[in-house]
Parts: sequence; structure tokens; C-alpha cells
Amino acid sequence: MTRPVLSALLLIGTAVLGSPSAVLAQAGGAQAGGAQAGAPQPGGGRALAPGVKVEVAPAPGSGSAPAAGKVDETALRYYARIGDVERMEAEIARLRALEPGWEPPKDLFAPQPATAGVDESPIWALLSAGKVAEARAAVAEQRRKSPSWQPSEKLLQELDLAEGAGRIRQASDTKRWQDVIDAAAAQPEAVACGRLDNAWRLAEAYGELKQLDRAYDTYRTIVTTCPKAKERRDTLFKASRYLGPDRLRELAALGATSNPAPGEDYSTVRAAEAELETGRLLERLGNAKPGGLSAADLSRVEGIVRDKQDADGAVALGWYFQKQKNYAEAQSWFSQANQWEPSDKAAEGLVLAYNGLGEKAQARAAAAPWKGRSSRIDQALKAVDPPRGAGGGRAVPQGPSELDRALARRDFAGCLGIISTTIARGGPTAALLQQRGWCLMELKRPSEAEAAFAEAQALAAREPAKAAAAGSRLPAGALPANGAADKPTSAQENAYGQALARLATGDMAGLTRDLPRANMTTAQKAEIRAALLATEANRALEDKRYHDVLRLLDARKELTPESRNLGILRGWALYNLMRYDDAYRQFKAIDDRLSTEESREGVSTAWKTIYHEW
Amino acid sequence: MTPSRRDMLAGTASLGLTAGLPAVLTTILPGALRAAPFDAAAWQRYAERFLQPEGRIVDSGNKGVSHSEGQGYGMLLAVAGGDRPAFDRLWGWTQRTLMVRGDGLAAWRWKPEEGVTDRNNAADGDMLIAWALMRAAEQWQAESYRASALSIVNALAAGLLVEQAGLTVLLPGREGFRKGDTLVLNPSYWIFPAIRAFAALPGGERWGRLADAGLVLLSKARFGSYQLPPDWMALDAGGAVTPAEGFKKQYGYDAVRVPLYLAWDGYRDPYYFRPYAALATKFGGTAIPATVSLPQGTTTQVAASVGMLAVYRLACRIAGTGNEVTVPAPAADEDYYSTTLLHLSALAAQSLGIDP
Repeated sequence: MTRPVLSALLLIGTAVLGSPSAVLAQAGGAQAGGAQAGAPQPGGGRALAPGVKVEVAPAPGSGSAPAAGKVDETALRYYARIGDVERMEAEIARLRALEPGWEPPKDLFAPQPATAGVDESPIWALLSAGKVAEARAAVAEQRRKSPSWQPSEKLLQELDLAEGAGRIRQASDTKRWQDVIDAAAAQPEAVACGRLDNAWRLAEAYGELKQLDRAYDTYRTIVTTCPKAKERRDTLFKASRYLGPDRLRELAALGATSNPAPGEDYSTVRAAEAELETGRLLERLGNAKPGGLSAADLSRVEGIVRDKQDADGAVALGWYFQKQKNYAEAQSWFSQANQWEPSDKAAEGLVLAYNGLGEKAQARAAAAPWKGRSSRIDQALKAVDPPRGAGGGRAVPQGPSELDRALARRDFAGCLGIISTTIARGGPTAALLQQRGWCLMELKRPSEAEAAFAEAQALAAREPAKAAAAGSRLPAGALPANGAADKPTSAQENAYGQALARLATGDMAGLTRDLPRANMTTAQKAEIRAALLATEANRALEDKRYHDVLRLLDARKELTPESRNLGILRGWALYNLMRYDDAYRQFKAIDDRLSTEESREGVSTAWKTIYHEW
Repeated sequence: MTPSRRDMLAGTASLGLTAGLPAVLTTILPGALRAAPFDAAAWQRYAERFLQPEGRIVDSGNKGVSHSEGQGYGMLLAVAGGDRPAFDRLWGWTQRTLMVRGDGLAAWRWKPEEGVTDRNNAADGDMLIAWALMRAAEQWQAESYRASALSIVNALAAGLLVEQAGLTVLLPGREGFRKGDTLVLNPSYWIFPAIRAFAALPGGERWGRLADAGLVLLSKARFGSYQLPPDWMALDAGGAVTPAEGFKKQYGYDAVRVPLYLAWDGYRDPYYFRPYAALATKFGGTAIPATVSLPQGTTTQVAASVGMLAVYRLACRIAGTGNEVTVPAPAADEDYYSTTLLHLSALAAQSLGIDP
């Protein structure tokens, strides 16, 4: 019952949320008229992004200690007021567990009358802004001024928890591994599923202290108790840093079967194990001396690459054989790669493989589609037809750095391997960690990516200022369409990367909360904000909250032009609100630009409804 | 010192026990172990031991030097003991000997054979002197003390209060506590009751912000398994707090005053007292180590002095951890710092209404 009600509060765009009671009525299935965009209500508006506001109810009055036996709703009301849905639902569940007969108050969104006593909400606001020390100070000051006042239990718990989590982070950032373990022992809730990053840090601490059994136990607890498949999957990748293949296989098996939650697809957990296996093999393939891979391993890689029609893997195999001067085998893999996914990097290998076979005409033919368009190919051609007077062009071009080449061939697993090796050799740099973040994003491992960007951020803060020169290399396609005038700094790119990662992990509430303070360019913020709004619009449609869909899309439109699929979404929202003419016009406009099955279905459904042609 | 003095001190303590206390107080303080109250007699004994005729307090644990901190403590105790002639001697010596910098602040240290060898000031000494002057002005209705106090407070505000990471903080001295964009600070220089008194002066808003910042910093400056503050801490431009480089990374003789000052100013949030109570609990309230390295937690063999134990007793009560610390009677040759902490703890407890 609560979910749609609460979601309605989240992320209402420029269109201003109507009175809270109207939203309640709407969600309860009653008349929805009042909930539509209307005049701004009195009460505090919380700026989420320039020009975008969420209306919040005026501060609830009191945070005074609850009467004995009564449920303490302070935190609940606070979360309601700021629209933090996830925490709010967790709090509702917690209170229900405490008091089975308890129901959330009907007036959750209504302004609370100011009552005498101490108002805890400024302290909650500090806490929720991450200002834990400031919140502690405020409690102490309040207790000095009003000695009879007791902060609510919930507030104290949240403060302890935030501090426990902070201690773990601090100790982990400074590599005080035993302190990480001690802090986690003192505050076990700080390493629960809800704070997965801390749980990973705990496991890492065990790993670094070579207490591998405990590291394994920690990872096992995560993959067997945390419900999200994606988190279990990311945990496997984390664990791969400390645990051998056998234990990873055990973890994967446990993660794929233990305590399944409805709606989660745990096959990805098993797939992760296979990916790790492939990654290990491909990494060995890349580093292998000729003949360095056993026949069994080699045939396994070949099998996996064929199964997945993995062009990158095929290119890697091509180079493995090319290095062995097994040009025929190399040529066959490069051809295969080019067939699965034509690219200049596959063509480059092909050119050089044919050249190795002495088939210069074939080599030139393979280069033809890219000649003059790819520097990689033009370089490779120099091996086929050495330029006159250039010393015979003996040096087969090596191209840019290993990392550059991995990125250019979109070999993101390779990217991770190269970065690990580089870090092992020369220590981490902010730029390397940031690049790691982008590669993890490409590999769809957003939780780890988020951590990598955060690490990069922390490291950048400690590195001597090297100006903003160290912009990282984004893989093609990942670059946001930023104007040159608004070129992000390295710190902004880290923040942006973290935000994208959180989008991918589904941490909408957290992202919404943190976005106003995030250090990003206006364009980056707008992009993240637009993505948030789009996600919410989709969710609203699933929840049949059609007015919300329109409001969210309108808000998004202020930031960026509406994409085609969102236009379709808008059409269906209009249709479901029985605004059939509007829906028809919407679908028709999209269909006129480019007619697809989707747009045609919209046009025809709306048309048939209007003219009763069913 | 004669054995009779020890007997007398012990006698005072047991007298406190038997004196009929209100029922409320006895429930707050189950059983024994009242602090010796600080009164005129206690002041006389203190003065006999540490106050030289010319008006300087001798730091008996540090080769007989005198310093602005000792002068400040001496002046505070003289006011509490109602001894105006002694107060005037203390203040006179302080002005003549230490306030030679020309900026209204005191040189921090004087050595018997050498005089003032380091002209840098110590912010806590200056604050204690100014606060004692304000209390004296009130107690004896003497405007000249107030004027002197104001001039010190203004000099402190102009030279020592700085903004860092959105916080108003107190440099420990005018020279030498800026390392690049990091500041080295001393948590025990937040003498909260003095800061509160300064904040109440006209134009004292920055002192109010200093008190606020002190609570924030003490929440950030919690290290090791006991979560204790370091004697010296670094505050970087981003607001992060670490034990300061170039100093012993430890909790010890300086930072032990943190809970004392908090209590004295009426703070009662157990959160701010729990670290000290945790340390006391761990060592059974008997041989509490004098220093703890941070963050590792290595403790010294040297045990906390009687005065430090008095602070722990106070901290344990406010933390509400249910443990009591036994404070033995001070030895005949108890040193200046320990004796001073013992008396200050009594004053703080009295002002809180914990002790008579």
C-alpha cells in the first residue's frame, strides 16, 4: 500500500507536487484531480538541480521522546518529508516489526503542528547531509541547553551507524586493516547488505591481512544473504582479488542458489564466475609467451569466445597466434572477429596476419575499407608496403600504449588487467583509478565502478595538484556530449562516473539526495538528473501513476530533448489517462518522423479507441 | 610536606562522606568517593606548595619553570578560593614578566635562571588568564580586571581565531602551527567554559562559533579502539582531522583535559565522555595509563596521576557507564599538574551540582 504513495513524492520535477493529501487520494484510487501540476504550495522547496524543485511539507514540529509504548515516528516523518523512499520503507518495515499492530500514519505527508519541546529535524537534516560530526555537536549542544531532553533512540542509532561506517571507511582508506575489522565488530550493522561497500572493505581487510578464510566467510555471507543478484555478482569480482578459482566457484554456486529473492535472476552470478574464468584466461593469453597456454586452456578460451561470439576475445586470440608466428591461425581468428563485429582493430590484425602469410594482396584488400580512415590501418599497411627511404619500415608499428590499445579495441577486461599490472608496478594514480572506473562501467560492474571513482577522488585529493591536465580517456561512446566550454575537471569526471554507476546500481534515492551537492558540471548534472527522471517515469508507468509520468517527463524535457522511447512512454501515459486525442497526436508525431512497430502500435491503438473500431 | 597535611586532606574527603547530603545527590553518587571540595582551605594549601611570593606558579614536575597556563590556573583557583591578594600577586607577575610581547598576549614560558626564552604565546594560557580576570571582576566587582580581560580576549580573537574548512578554530600559538594549508590544533585548548564567557561579551559571536567547532572537531577527532582525541591534531582544508605529524601521535597529558572542560561547561551528552570512560573501564579504574598511542592504542607503563584520575571519575559519571574511578588522596609531593587537575575537577563537579 505504501509504495506507490511514497514513490509519488520522489523526484517530482518542475511540475510542482500538489497537496500531499491529494497525492494520497490519488494513490488510494480516488479522484486524482487535485494532484496535477498546480500552483506552488506554501512550504519549503528543496532545490534538486537548477530550476528543479521538489515541494516538501513544512517541518514537522517535534522530535521529542515518544511516550512509553508508542512507536517513535520521528525518523519516519523525516524521511517522508525529504522524500527518501528507500529509507522510509525500511523504517516502516522496522516499526512494523517492533509493533505488529502498527500502521503508518495517514497524515505522513501532512504538515505537522509545531509542538513544544525539541525539534530534532535540523539534526536529522545534518545527518542526512552526511554531516555526522555536526549532528553530534548539535545533539550535545541541545542536551546542554535542555538537560531533560533525550534524543530519540532512532537518531542515536543512525548516528552510531554512520560513525561506524565512517570509521570503517577511514581505516580502510588508510590501510589500517585491523582497525577496519575492529570497527566492523563494534558496529555490525555498518557492514550489513545495505552498506555493501563497507562489507567489501571488511572482506578486503581480511584479504590484506592474509586471513583468507575470514575473507571467504565475509564474501560468503554477502552472496548468501544480500538479495540482489547484481550485488552478489559484483562481490564475486571483488573476491577474485583474494580468492583462488576453487573458492570463487564455491561462492558462485552459493550466490546462485542461496536465499533467492523474488524477481532476481541469479544466473548472472554463475555467469560472473565464467566471466572471471574467461578474464583470467584472456589475461594470460595477452601476457603469454608463445606456447604459454596449455592446450586445454587454449581450447577452453576458444570455446568460450566462439560461444559468445566475442569479437574482442577473437582479436586477443588472433594476437596470441600472431605472436607465435602462427599466421594462418591468427588470420582465421582476425577474420572471425571482423565477421562478428567489423572493426579497424580486427582489420589491423588481419592485415598483419596476411602479411605474415605473404599474401600482400589479401592484406591490402582487408585494409581497404579502413584505408585513410584509421591510423591503425594506415600504420599496419606500412608493414605490407614499406615506405621508400624509411629504412625499409622494419619496425612494425606498435601504436599507442598497451592501455590505449586495449581501450581502442574496447577490451575492457584487458583494460582492468593492464591497470592492475601498472598499479602493481608503479602504484595507483587517480587517472588510472578513474580509467578503471570507466572500464568497470563498460563491463557492467557499476558497484565496483562507483568504488573505483571514489578511490580516484580520494587519491586525487592527496596527489599534488597537477592542474586539470589529467583528463582521463573515456572509451568511445561513453563520452557525454559536453560542450567544450564546460570541460569537466578530473574531480568532476570522478563525480560524474560515480553518479552513472549509482544510476546503474539503481540507487535512485541516494543519487537524488546527493546530486545537489555533487561536484559536476552543469551539463553533467543535467544529464544525470534527466536519467533519474527517465527512470522514475518508467517506474511511474509500471506503477500506473500516469500523472506522475507526465510530470516527470515534463521536468526532464526542461533539461534535455525528449528521446523517442520516452515520447512513446508519454503517449501511453496520455492514453491511460483517457486523453486519447493527445495520445494519438503524440504517437502520430513520432510515427511521422520514423515509423516503427512501436509507434505504429500506439497510433493504431489510440485511433481505434477514439473511433471505437475495436 | 608533612604527613599531617596528607591526613588532613584525607580527613576532608571522609568528612564529605559523612556530612548529611540530600538524598538526590547520594543516589547519584552511590557509596563513597566524594571529591575533596575546592574551598579557601584547599586554595591555601595549593598556594603554600606552588605559589612563590613574587606571584608565579611553579610547575614542580617541569624543573620549576612557570608558564602562562600555570598563571591562568593559579588565578582561577585564587578566585575560587576567594584570595584577592594572591590573585593580584599572580596577575602582577604575569603582567610584568610574561606580557612582554607587545600584542597583549603572554609569552608562554619562563625559566628560573633564564627568564623568558620563547616569546611565542600559548592560546590556552592566555584564555585561562582572561577568563580568571573576568571571574575576578565579577567576584570582586573590579572593572579594571574586566578591562584587562577584554584586551586579552580581543588580542586572542585578532591573532589566534582563524577559519578553516568552514569552522572557526583556535591556533595554539601565533607562530608555527600552520603547515601549508593544514593547521595543527590542540583539542585541549578548547576551554569551553572560558569560550562561553568570551562569547557572551559584546561582539563575541566568533567565540560562539569556536565552541560549536570544538564539538564538531571532537566528534571527528576520535581514533583507535577507545575513540580518544589526540593531544595534537591536524585539520586539513577539506575538514579532515588526523593526529598531527611532528608530534607524538597520542592521547595523553594534554587531551585528558578535554572531558574536564566539556563537563565544566555543562555538556552532558554521554557520547562526548564515553571514550575516557571506556579507557578507565578497560583498566579497571585503577592503573589507567597516562598515554595511549593513536590510532594503534599502545599504552605507556606510566599510570595516570591523581588529578587525571579525578578527571576520569567525572567523565565516567557523565558517560553513565556505571563504573567508578577511585581517586586516591594526593601524595605529599603530588606535582603541580596533577594537583591542579584534581582541584579543577572538583570545581567542575561543583559547578555541575555533582559535588557540593
